[in-house]
Amino acid sequence: MTATQTRPPAATDRPVRPHGKTPLYKKERPLWMLLPGGILMLAVIVVPLLVGVFIAMLDLDQYTLRQWFSAPFVGFANFAEAITDSPLLHSIWISASLAVLVTAVTVPIGVAAAISTQNRFPGRGLVRSIYLIPYVLPAFVVGTFFRTMLQPQGVVNAIFHTDVLWLNGSASYWALAAVMVWTSWPFVYLLSLAGLQAVDLEVHEAASLDGATWWIKLRYVIFPYLRGPLSLAVIIAILHNINNFTLPFVLFGIPLPSSVEVMPVLTYIASFQSFRFGLSAAMAICSLVIVAIPLFVYLRAVQLDTGDDARPSRGQRRLQRQQTGAAA
Amino acid sequence: MSAFTSSRTRPTATLTESITSQGGARRHKRPYDTDVTRLLPRWLLITVIAVIIAFIAVPVLYILFGSVNSDVAVARGEYFPTEFTLANYVNIWSTVALGTGLLNSILTAGAVAVASAALAVSTAYVLVRFRFLGRLTFLRGLLALQSIPGTLLLLPVFVVFSNIASATGVQIIGTRWGLFVTYLTFALPFSTWVMVTYLRGLPKELEEAARIDGASSTKILTKIVLPLSWPGIVVSAIFAFLLGWNDVLFSTIMTTPNTRTVAVVLQVLGTAQEGGAVPIYGQMMAASIVCAAPVVALYLVFQRYLVGGLTAGSVK
Repeated sequence: MTATQTRPPAATDRPVRPHGKTPLYKKERPLWMLLPGGILMLAVIVVPLLVGVFIAMLDLDQYTLRQWFSAPFVGFANFAEAITDSPLLHSIWISASLAVLVTAVTVPIGVAAAISTQNRFPGRGLVRSIYLIPYVLPAFVVGTFFRTMLQPQGVVNAIFHTDVLWLNGSASYWALAAVMVWTSWPFVYLLSLAGLQAVDLEVHEAASLDGATWWIKLRYVIFPYLRGPLSLAVIIAILHNINNFTLPFVLFGIPLPSSVEVMPVLTYIASFQSFRFGLSAAMAICSLVIVAIPLFVYLRAVQLDTGDDARPSRGQRRLQRQQTGAAA
Repeated sequence: MSAFTSSRTRPTATLTESITSQGGARRHKRPYDTDVTRLLPRWLLITVIAVIIAFIAVPVLYILFGSVNSDVAVARGEYFPTEFTLANYVNIWSTVALGTGLLNSILTAGAVAVASAALAVSTAYVLVRFRFLGRLTFLRGLLALQSIPGTLLLLPVFVVFSNIASATGVQIIGTRWGLFVTYLTFALPFSTWVMVTYLRGLPKELEEAARIDGASSTKILTKIVLPLSWPGIVVSAIFAFLLGWNDVLFSTIMTTPNTRTVAVVLQVLGTAQEGGAVPIYGQMMAASIVCAAPVVALYLVFQRYLVGGLTAGSVK
């Protein structure tokens, strides 16, 4: 008791806890700092998402838009129409096949590019800068100049002495695929580059001592290191390609030729050209189901936290197992 | 954080080095870098680089050549310009409101960059340095929100904004503020994620020392975390800027002729050409270069940070 009485009065204001119980970083947590960003994301992403689900069940057009909550409720009729009586399934097929095709083509280009700049040589920095140019150019710019190049009288037909209508009809599918490949391969390149950094010098030495030729070394020593980063790159690339709105929109304009009627543009046309808002929302939700597959894989594979309470996700552990197993 | 910088750090004593060091001077003449770690034979390396650079350069040079060529010559399908003219760069400003578009884009995207970096750094700081209920959910939510397609949200955002307008009388659609709020929100998940990965790499000790000295969390954030995390802040600001600059989806719907961003103005230029009798392809190429120039300049200046930030944002 005497000890408490002799304590200076200022110290009694703060309760002194036995040391070690509350870590310093837990004492004052400025959780309010999460509020501005959190509220914005809630108001402009989450709330509209829910509104979108609701709109999908309304018969909403430009006349009822201002009082959208009093528009006639039609339940799942929009979904039924989207699936049975609209080009939605056709668009899903086009979007998904384009995404897979384009990603499959970009992977070898990206890996080759990463391998080609891995060793030092004079001018490597310049080559690396050039490699990223297609990725850095805004998609609307890329769309604009490829549109000019692909005109019937344009430079592509002039060079190859052909007469193909690249911006109409069935050739437009291949035109879009080619332009998408051109702009998106540097992403695979970047992630492969990150994978190549993980190869230790000792591994190179072991391969060299064993007398491996360049192809054997690439195939059995280097490629296994790229499996993890590449699976991630493939998932993200597929996701981006499915959701690509700008490139087809700029390249072909509205209305799109039917062979490149991709999902994002289809929902856009349904709402802002034909003003079938309810139908468009239903289409968007249906298409989310397709996006959800790569999205789910992505979320499982990404490491959320490297803190003390971190636990690698199942996908993460699988990637690690693959990497260590393949490297061993 | 940067994929490029880590290539510089190499193990000091290695097998090859210890072997070659017995040979004395040879070690300096032939760094192991060009030897054991070589991935491709020389001929193949040169072929791969040449093919990829040609693949990139042919379309890119086409814009450059087309922008100094006459409209008619580009329409004929010429690759190399037969006549040199800078008239396209002069005419684009009067053909469409390119200047207004540039101004709108710079104002909107610039404001988005600043605001999103500020919000991202404070949000990421709390997420990285403090433990609280719902923290992992927040992180997971960031990733999920980042992957939601814009086309899914375009219509609902439009409906919500037009309802706010009819309820309060404050017009949002068609103003720069509407675009600003939209881009800011869509930039936040990725910007925050970039900052989260960056702040994780910073040592805790400085902040703990400051806390022992009695600094508040706000003070620690402004006096210690901010000065240390400039590279990360620059990256997240630039990504936010690019999101605003490159967007076509929202800006075609949510702008009026006065608030159009440069992306929409370029589309208008494209359709103007289709209506008229004289093709203005040369001007389109010139306008494309004007639209791409700020982005390419940003990239060249901050290249090192951007590459690392992009990989960190998606890998970790």
